[in-house]
Amino acid sequence: MKKFLITTASVATAATMMAGTAMADAHGDCGEVTITEMNWASSAVVTGVASFLMEQGYGCEVTKVPSSTTPALASVAETGQPDILTELWINGAPSYDKMSEAGTITTLTDVLLPGGVEGWWIPTYLAEEHPELATMEGLLANPDLVGGRFHQCPEGWGCKNTNAGIARALGLEDAGFEIFQHGSGETMATSIASAVENEEPWLGYYWGPTSVLGKYDMTQVDLGPYNEEAHMCNADPDCEEVGMSSYPVGPVKTVVTTDFADNHPDLAELMSNVTFTNDQMNTVLAWQEDNNASADEAAVYFLTNYSDIWSEWVNEAAREKLAAFIQ
Amino acid sequence: MATYDGLFEAAGLEEWCSGGATDGPMTMAEMLARANGTQVEDGPDPAVPLLETPFPSLDALNKSCGAIPRSRDMTEAVEQGFLTIKDPLKVVLDPLTQPLSWMLDASLEAFQAIPWFIMIPLLVLATWFASRRIGVTLFVAFAFLFMAFIDYYDDAIKTLSIIFVCTIISILLGVPIGIAMSRSNALQRMTIPILDMLQTLPTFVYLIPLIFLFSVTESKLYGIAIILYAIVPVIRLTDLGIRLVDKDVIEAADAFGMSDRQKLWGVQIPLALPNIMAGINQTIMMSLAMVVIASLVSAPGLGVKVLAGIRNLELGVGLVAGFCIVLLAVLLDRATKAALGRIDSSAR
Repeated sequence: MKKFLITTASVATAATMMAGTAMADAHGDCGEVTITEMNWASSAVVTGVASFLMEQGYGCEVTKVPSSTTPALASVAETGQPDILTELWINGAPSYDKMSEAGTITTLTDVLLPGGVEGWWIPTYLAEEHPELATMEGLLANPDLVGGRFHQCPEGWGCKNTNAGIARALGLEDAGFEIFQHGSGETMATSIASAVENEEPWLGYYWGPTSVLGKYDMTQVDLGPYNEEAHMCNADPDCEEVGMSSYPVGPVKTVVTTDFADNHPDLAELMSNVTFTNDQMNTVLAWQEDNNASADEAAVYFLTNYSDIWSEWVNEAAREKLAAFIQ
Repeated sequence: MATYDGLFEAAGLEEWCSGGATDGPMTMAEMLARANGTQVEDGPDPAVPLLETPFPSLDALNKSCGAIPRSRDMTEAVEQGFLTIKDPLKVVLDPLTQPLSWMLDASLEAFQAIPWFIMIPLLVLATWFASRRIGVTLFVAFAFLFMAFIDYYDDAIKTLSIIFVCTIISILLGVPIGIAMSRSNALQRMTIPILDMLQTLPTFVYLIPLIFLFSVTESKLYGIAIILYAIVPVIRLTDLGIRLVDKDVIEAADAFGMSDRQKLWGVQIPLALPNIMAGINQTIMMSLAMVVIASLVSAPGLGVKVLAGIRNLELGVGLVAGFCIVLLAVLLDRATKAALGRIDSSAR
């Protein structure tokens, strides 16, 4: 009797397994996944690569949700969707800490290594001509050499407060600089592009990995060592004790909802392996810029040229399914 | 290789075709097809069912014939073309538009330099002399006091200063263009499509060539965008107003032996004034509408606050700034309408 039971059980299991694999081949056993596509170039590449791996390797139905940092977090807090937040620059996301503590979201990994590079930049041809401009003293002494203008972040970006703090600590305006506040990230990128293409001076804030820093050769201005206390105060518009501090390397994380991590351990494992180095990302973005490629094509470029890297991210079963793509 | 191979073979264009390069970026679909073995590189293509025949677009034809450009090459060519004419255009347009930058900057300085306890009474008095209506004047006074009370006065004044400059320039350019249009049918036929285009172009599209043409740090960048968008109603309504002047009145003027110039200044413009004023009112409204979008290219004022509200999901900031814009719109509208009413009644 016992034997019979075991046999039926094993037959049943085998049958379900068979059915399961058949199902998995048809559609996959993973179900529907939503993943954000943030509105900047590198995030679109990460999202493209991750969705490809999940669709082709794990048989999921992936929906891309166009979003940006704050709205995506707000949406997770309110509705528990989207499942995966790619490329979350947590320095610019005040609600991230609260949600992490509450256990709504789980942080898987650094999606960009070493992470976001933020700072003040001048074009490299300018730095070669006048090496002193890459130092604070040299900068303050020669406002004319960099055009007498500091390009400041738009209203509503975290870096706007930090830059204002650093500028106050430096006495930038007293040194004869005009602080020009841009209206959007697009005009910031345009101002760098037009300055570099006309070999004009430029000084301002920018961040990477971005197609702009991948395409144009920029040199970072030395803002001194990183000082946490000063940096925190610079970032707070109400704080008076501003001081000099470089930007820390900005952690850029892949974050999933805790429910998703519990329900799809295999996908959580995949997403915690998906990490790009800054150099890889800059290369992909520069290629995309040079070829006028879409985000989709940039993801394909990564998938075809870096299969040795991403084949390490996926598990055995997925690697078999993706064998055709691994060169 | 692809659907339209036969077409080029039939036309005997294979040699011409093979001269082109076909190594563009690969799309996701192509990669999947290649990996699933449905399409081997340089091998025969799987037969495409009739129902799935792609439209012979540039991209589809390029697959069969490398010499035909892809659609991205086409947009690239448009960009290159624009970049080629950019520099000569810049040489002409830059000095021509420079006064606009100076005016915008000077007006911004002036509006901000005048302290609130002079500025608000000035605005209220101006409203009174324009409209002579107690109600409107009180409304303007309360609106400004309210905005000052909630600390939005600075932004409101910046926005007002931009509108002030852009409206004046729109009137200075728009009224003469409208008059010229009303006197020549040929000119009207040429101008109307341009006006239609200016009004139907998505407002963001204006910003693209402007960003390329001028330095993004120049205030004329948003000035031009606002003027291009806002100048249309004043041109249209000036043209319409003059054309609508009663034929009998014109005949009477001819009978008195008036010259063309006397007719224009003594008869047509006074009778068309209500329409012209309605055009000016619309121009003010449209420049206000554009001010928010112009904040994307660094226009100061209430638009910046609205954008910050959107970016940070600070619903309160966004809503209050939006409300201030509505308040500005309503008070500008009421004040100009009341002034219009006075002109109308004096004409009667």
